[in-house]
Amino acid sequence: MALYSVLRSIRADFSKVCLSQRVQSFHTSCPLTAEKALLVKLRKTTGYTFINCKKALEKFDNDIKQAESWLHEQAQKEGWNKATRLEGRQAKEGLIGQLVGDRAAVMVEVNCETDFVARNERFQELVRDVAFAAMAHHRRRAEGQSGYVKSLLSAEELAALSVSEGARLADLLALTIGRLGENISLKRALAVVVPADWHIGSYVHGSGSGPGSGSGSGAAGVTMGRYGALVVFQGGQPGDAQALGRRLGQHVVGEAPVSLGNADDLPCGESETRLLPQSLLSDPSRTVAQYLAQEGARVLDFARFQCGEGSAAADQ
Amino acid sequence: MAALAGMRACLPSVLQLSASGLLHSSNRVCAIPLIRRGFAVEAKKVYSREKPHVNIGTIGHVDHGKTTLTAAITKVLAEAGGARYKKYEDIDNAPEEKARGITINTSHVEYTTSNRHYGHTDCPGHADYVKNMITGTAQLDGCILVVAGTDGQMPQTREHLLLARQIGVEHVVVYINKADAVDDPEMLELVELEMREVLTEFGYDGENTPIITGSALCALENRSPDLGVDSVLKLLDVVDSYIPLPKRELEKPFLLPIDGVFSIPGRGTVVTGTLERGVIKKGDECEFVGRNRSFKSVVTGVEMFHQSLERAEAGDKLGTLVRGLKREDVRRGMVMSKPGSIQPHQKVQAQVYILSKDEGGRHKPFMSNFMPVMYSLTWDMTCRVSLPPGKEMVMPGEDASLTLQLRQPMVLEKGQRFTLRDGNRTIGTGLVTEVLPQDPGENINWG
Repeated sequence: MALYSVLRSIRADFSKVCLSQRVQSFHTSCPLTAEKALLVKLRKTTGYTFINCKKALEKFDNDIKQAESWLHEQAQKEGWNKATRLEGRQAKEGLIGQLVGDRAAVMVEVNCETDFVARNERFQELVRDVAFAAMAHHRRRAEGQSGYVKSLLSAEELAALSVSEGARLADLLALTIGRLGENISLKRALAVVVPADWHIGSYVHGSGSGPGSGSGSGAAGVTMGRYGALVVFQGGQPGDAQALGRRLGQHVVGEAPVSLGNADDLPCGESETRLLPQSLLSDPSRTVAQYLAQEGARVLDFARFQCGEGSAAADQ
Repeated sequence: MAALAGMRACLPSVLQLSASGLLHSSNRVCAIPLIRRGFAVEAKKVYSREKPHVNIGTIGHVDHGKTTLTAAITKVLAEAGGARYKKYEDIDNAPEEKARGITINTSHVEYTTSNRHYGHTDCPGHADYVKNMITGTAQLDGCILVVAGTDGQMPQTREHLLLARQIGVEHVVVYINKADAVDDPEMLELVELEMREVLTEFGYDGENTPIITGSALCALENRSPDLGVDSVLKLLDVVDSYIPLPKRELEKPFLLPIDGVFSIPGRGTVVTGTLERGVIKKGDECEFVGRNRSFKSVVTGVEMFHQSLERAEAGDKLGTLVRGLKREDVRRGMVMSKPGSIQPHQKVQAQVYILSKDEGGRHKPFMSNFMPVMYSLTWDMTCRVSLPPGKEMVMPGEDASLTLQLRQPMVLEKGQRFTLRDGNRTIGTGLVTEVLPQDPGENINWG
């Protein structure tokens, strides 16, 4: 019996040694492949370049958490470097983003160099952030005022705004530039707040994402496209204000009126640039003024953004 | 178009070969001896059609080296006599060119390998590639996807692959660039692995797609030839073998859009037109299709410039004598084709570019139910436009995928080009992407 137990313990010891040896050998041959797996993982989760992921892993001895946060920091820095380097390049493509809330709306334009970038998700995220930041800023400013407030933000003013989590738009911009490798600029933003009985009609045309470019893509309330229009109006059939606003917005995008004009102006044909005497886009047999009269509505103001156009929006 | 023609004209003729050989002793070391160019003499050269022509393009993320690679290719081939070296700057500023009245930003470069002649297209924007496809300026037969070994695939790489799918590029070759900046070969393997995954994701044959690793910069700067020059040569080799030759017009079944019909006393009825594709010989069976008619007959004679000939080829303007044909049987706009090779259709899906105001198009957008006149081959027919769901209008200067419903069935097939006109102005150009079945119960008021 004693002999048996001794034998058994020896066997157990032996197998332990064997096992530990195997484990050891597994460890010694492993570091390279483990690092590779980590590298692939880090690259997949963050999307940063291979070379930066590798640097990060080497720096923090394969600690994926630290590496990731370092990468984020680094991206910000690289973004700023790139942003200053690319500053002079012309950015004429891009997207118009629209965010319409309760009695308030903003329309922003963000430019980039090629339409490839405008189709990119990260670029669209940036447009969304800009729209939300502009909206928050405008709401703060318009607080306590009951009348019609309209403000146009320039590129510099926009860059100084910050999104709700506290990051400045300028930083986000730099980050996106670092990621996408193209010059991107915040061009302008228009914000309006209207009194209780007024309505805002909006329309965005030509989306930047997906094949076939549908009419205005969007996420989280922000619609984006190459053209955008906001129309401020009063009246209209109850419950039908949104459809009316959309129709008017579509007309403004399509016909590009420059001024509002008067309801009794005589139309002057194809080259008419006043909104009210123009013939309605979706029903050319009527003028806009006639259509409005029938709907019992009155247009007070409108704005049109076209991506990449030279000067500020047509405005009265 | 003019730029393209000009570039083609730069190629020397075989006649000048001996002269340039005498002038430039450097040509004697050429690895690819067939076509050579004189660097000093810049008179008009004649395009030599000895090698099959293939159109390719480069796509890839910004700063991954598309343009550098193009420059490197021309440099490497210039040393072998198959190209003229184009500097980075020459390629980078894509000039505006007009094709069918449409402004496209694109740069074309041409070069010759030992087997083929290539037209190489590089466009800055998505819209430019789509316009390129629609106008047919340079239909891409294949693409070189450039990706930096330091970065791996980046956001735009995906956009570009999506585009390649959209414009019908079926063959993609990958060049992993900037290998000189990567010291760990395992990382290049990872990039390669990732690229194969991405290609498969976009519906390409990721497993078997050739992937070449190298550095275009090394090739340009003449250092480490194994990463530089050799990789470029290897890439060209792969492009030569992996991207198939486009089918030539002559090999396709013949198609003659009918221009005019004449009856010649004592001989019969002659139909005239420019042979779109294929070859017509005396005695060929033929079929007349279009304008709600269809019947078969036999070609009894082919004539060009009042002289009869045995065989007419694509591009020839000709008249054919057809057995038993009466003058009133055929009208302009019908086609004479190899029996069964083409059918009339009434409804198609098409990718259309709508001319902007600057290009002479409309200044207004249009919506569904707009009725322009469609012109293709020798026919014209009113059609009704339907926009894809989710799209309410098309602005000038945009491209769109439209469904077109013709008033009467006309000869249409996938890949056919057409023009849309409204009143007295051309408003757009398009390409049929799909033939759709006609809905039986559909009634349209054609006004």
